Amino acid sequence: MSVEVEVNESDLAEMVEQVWESYLDPEGINPLIPTYDENQPSEVHSSVSITGSWTGHIVYASSTEAARRAAAAFLAMEVDEVSEEDVSDVLGELANIVGGNVKAMLPPGALLSLPQVVLAPEATARFPNTERISGVYGVWDGEPVSISMWQSRSTDKEGAE
Amino acid sequence: MKILIADDSRVMRQIVVRTLRQAGFGDHDLIEAADGKQAFEMAKSENPDLVLSDWNMPEMTGIEVLRQLRAAGNDVKFGFVTSESTPEMKEQAEAAGALFFIVKPFSAERFDEVFAPILG
Repeated sequence: MSVEVEVNESDLAEMVEQVWESYLDPEGINPLIPTYDENQPSEVHSSVSITGSWTGHIVYASSTEAARRAAAAFLAMEVDEVSEEDVSDVLGELANIVGGNVKAMLPPGALLSLPQVVLAPEATARFPNTERISGVYGVWDGEPVSISMWQSRSTDKEGAE
Repeated sequence: MKILIADDSRVMRQIVVRTLRQAGFGDHDLIEAADGKQAFEMAKSENPDLVLSDWNMPEMTGIEVLRQLRAAGNDVKFGFVTSESTPEMKEQAEAAGALFFIVKPFSAERFDEVFAPILG
């Protein structure tokens, strides 16, 4: 790591665990089981950008099925009642929650973007001049889910939008 | 009591409502605003007893809503429920007259701890 980041992998794992405890697995029966496979496939993803004292992106990616289950858990409905809008909103909120928690650990002067949701694999996203610096990769009820941090290589404050 | 929930995320409004119910505050009258401006208008027109507001919202941010309410002489009990929390934000919130600062993700226990003294 060339630039100092104050949020490491275990911090990220702790935030993710809180999301599971609060919303996705409140009963504690279906945790995210780590696979440590940063190349695991995804079908949908969402992201928020942070600009300022640290510049980069927080990306939440999963299979469509895991996203539908997350939407059902967030909205207290059955998986087969979940609409595409529900999936989009919940994916956006997941990126927003993790991004907000990451921002809280950064030095003052960081701005968080509104979430972007893309119903296509994370591999279709291209964040120019970034490198993945940290991530939590796992399976939730057999379905792939990952949360990763991408840091802008440039120290230029203009950074990515 | 009437509680106004202000958040631009439909999902988050729903989760706040559900968590209020889980924490035993579901009998209160719960109303919702989808952006800061709407929250400001509803805080004036609906006379809620308590406002739970997100920080980052379109039109007006939560802190702007709180400041403008106070500037207009409105003393409604007001606090933040937000995924962003920095010491500066907490300071600004407190200085503007916020009663609490709840960070997402939150639990029903956290809601109970914060709201029991306020809602009785």
